[in-house]
Amino acid sequence: MDRQLRKRLEARFGERLTGPVRQRHDQTEIRIAPSDVPEVMRELHDDPSFDFQLLADLAGVDTGSHMQVVYHLWSATTPDWLRVIADGMPREDPRVPSLTGLWPGAEWMEREAYDMFGIIFEGNRDLRRIYMPPDYTSFPLRKDFYLADDAARSPGGGVRHMEQTHAPAQATERVVRRTVKA
Amino acid sequence: MTAPSTPHRHPSADDPRILLDDSIGQFEAIPPYPPRTEREAEFYELGDGEMFINFGPQHPSTHGVLRVVLKINGEQVVDLDPVLGYLHRGVEKLCENSDYHHINSQVDPLEYISSLFCEWSPVMAFERLLDVEVPRRAEYIRVLTGELNRILSHALFMGWMALDLGGLTPILWSFIERDEIAEMLASITGQRLLFNYFRIGGVNGDINHDFMSRLGDWMTRAAAQHEANTQLLNENEIFVRRMRDLGRLDRETALRMAVTGPNLRATGTPYDVRRAHPYSVYPELEFDVPTRGHNGGDCLDRYLLRVDEVKQSLRIIDQCLHNMPDGPVMAKLPRLLRPRPGRAFAAVEGPRGMYATYAISDGSDQPFRMRIHDPSFIALQLVPLLMKDNLVADTMAVMASLDPIMGGVDK
Repeated sequence: MDRQLRKRLEARFGERLTGPVRQRHDQTEIRIAPSDVPEVMRELHDDPSFDFQLLADLAGVDTGSHMQVVYHLWSATTPDWLRVIADGMPREDPRVPSLTGLWPGAEWMEREAYDMFGIIFEGNRDLRRIYMPPDYTSFPLRKDFYLADDAARSPGGGVRHMEQTHAPAQATERVVRRTVKA
Repeated sequence: MTAPSTPHRHPSADDPRILLDDSIGQFEAIPPYPPRTEREAEFYELGDGEMFINFGPQHPSTHGVLRVVLKINGEQVVDLDPVLGYLHRGVEKLCENSDYHHINSQVDPLEYISSLFCEWSPVMAFERLLDVEVPRRAEYIRVLTGELNRILSHALFMGWMALDLGGLTPILWSFIERDEIAEMLASITGQRLLFNYFRIGGVNGDINHDFMSRLGDWMTRAAAQHEANTQLLNENEIFVRRMRDLGRLDRETALRMAVTGPNLRATGTPYDVRRAHPYSVYPELEFDVPTRGHNGGDCLDRYLLRVDEVKQSLRIIDQCLHNMPDGPVMAKLPRLLRPRPGRAFAAVEGPRGMYATYAISDGSDQPFRMRIHDPSFIALQLVPLLMKDNLVADTMAVMASLDPIMGGVDK
């Protein structure tokens, strides 16, 4: 845990952070509004005291109540991974500015997040489906997309073998769209 | 008794008419719908003297099932458009519907050449969610088997690389090496390809006699064997001249393209997760992070870098065998894992770059969200960049030098 990084982030992005800076193990986490993503990322990348040169990962997340885009960055200036969460996008129309101007390598990761969650990355010039066929219409990693053979949802189904098998009536209840405070 | 009549008899497979009359198996390069994006509109617009060629999805040198649409002008590649998804199995969704122990077997077939690394990063992420301390012996066994897996993967890379350039001999030699390691790992894990060996909190079984005798036998000649295998290619003039100055990648572009692993180090950037963000017992081990880039990060650099890495892996294996502590190989954990709600990220350095997992727990026995970051996916993105103005025949060489595995690309 890099306490210094936490202080530097708080000093730098103060009012732009939408939640407290959290630290656990070797990860530091900040939350920002989706519209702030390009600016914050550019500062993290360009400022030599941060120097986050490598975009380690870009992930879409459906928390069940809203959408997130989660970026992981690496820098030689800190022993921590920096996790930047662009938080609070509505599930009906999730939009976030694209990072392809800063990291052209984000293009395919953004295409993947679009394909799986329907998150629109504004400014990505090739935002088409990457895995699913072009005529596909749903977004499979969303939480309201159930597996076709999800036996746990059928009354009496017992895929969740360690529990619940004795109460088939609850089996359907159990899988009502889960939400998480992420 | 007469045979029943068959009005709709299928023509036999070797009927030549089937090739003439039927369009089965032919791909239309231009998609039958209007372009959806700016880039697609630009790509599927033919200029003067240009044409499309369709590679794959069953092309033998695409290392899996990959379709590439090439836009060519004579022999020169103008642009290309990789079309993914032929191997897409939705592993992330499957993981989100499996319990934590089960996920191990779901992520194994991602990169079937280096399965242990596919297991390693989720297992590490879950250990962070659970705050589990892994026994030191288990960590050493993980490093030992992981480095063996890395050598296996790089050995195959060298063979495939030559095969894609038209050389048949090296693949035979590298398969000998690969098979020896596969047998070795099979004696400890029980399987030759999809090992399913790491567990949350340790590994599935301790080192056994069979493994140790095979390993000791192999270690006595591994370095010499590796030297002999690489000489086959390093001193082959056709190979070297074909690879030199092909598909150059500079440091700045590589970082902007988010490339990791050997492809990044071949541009002269010493980024290795084992050193940049140490995990497991790597801080205790002595090894170098080789870099290349004298030729400007071309295909030859990427090949030679992997040759260097094998030597470092042999060093690590040697140290593991000498420093291996005694003790248990599994932490004590309940059968049903329910981590506290939280988020964890873990990354490991695999033979193709950084494998990473981002897991969110909601307190139940299945991860709420599990994101798998695969280095091949990122590396494949480079192909359109590196192939501009090169010859069609070099497409396979450039692609092989980046070493993507489609199982991981398509997830």
